[in-house]
Amino acid sequence: MAGRKLKARPKTVEYADAEPSAFASMLGGLIEANVESRPEKQRDFGSLAARVGIFVTDIDEGVTLDFQGGHLVVHNGLAPRRDLTIRAEAGTVMNLSNLKIGLFGMPVYYDEVGRGVAAKLLQRKLRIDGLLGNLATLNTVTRIFSVQ
Amino acid sequence: MAVKAFSDEWAQQFKDEVNKSSVYKSAAKGWKWTVGLVVEAEPDKNFPEAKGVVMDLFDGSARDITVGTAADAQRCNFVITAPYSRWKQVATKELDATKGMLQGKLKLKGDLPTIVRYTKASQEMTECTTRVPVEWPDEN
Repeated sequence: MAGRKLKARPKTVEYADAEPSAFASMLGGLIEANVESRPEKQRDFGSLAARVGIFVTDIDEGVTLDFQGGHLVVHNGLAPRRDLTIRAEAGTVMNLSNLKIGLFGMPVYYDEVGRGVAAKLLQRKLRIDGLLGNLATLNTVTRIFSVQ
Repeated sequence: MAVKAFSDEWAQQFKDEVNKSSVYKSAAKGWKWTVGLVVEAEPDKNFPEAKGVVMDLFDGSARDITVGTAADAQRCNFVITAPYSRWKQVATKELDATKGMLQGKLKLKGDLPTIVRYTKASQEMTECTTRVPVEWPDEN
């Protein structure tokens, strides 16, 4: 039999640091489970190339999600050259992953969870740096991140 | 009246608090998995042996909450592990459970999307623990 070599499939999620922080492991694990169990998220994941920082203000910890079109590398802390950076308290970060996805793949901001997230934006307790020009990226990340 | 931490009486009062909570009832609709809390030993805090809290939760109510061994809790669908003093911090509102998990102070095993979907229910569950008056072994 011809010794054809199969190209190893890269892991869905990898960690840049030898010891990923608990927050990095949790976000990486959440995205991996979401993507591997939901075909609609695989499409978004496969098409997304962006570096997204998430900083949790009340525990003073952040991660950078480096989406590379079907592959994600999670870094401890905020790495340079981020397209978007989301800063919020722990509860709000969890609520972001509970946003429902509605028509045309848009996050739903009119139910209880969505209104809560929108209120945090207005109160500037949720800050998104780099939003200008990256709204589509934010929506894609939200869809990948959402467990709903 | 205060009950001994992680005793059978504590488990009964905790269960009663969960079942009294309308917030939990609505937030945990659809939940159908067991949850185990592993309380690791801290002999220097007068908590010499690990214990396990097994919570049989179903569709917004607690069918049963019992205290047994750590191994009992580890057999549950979701397992949260922390030393005794961390659990005490959670029950006395010194540590927010969500923050604790993100910081790795409470270690979670189980399907992450499911637990994140029920964030509100788990927050209310934590609130229920804070409503049970407790005698802590390191305060005697």
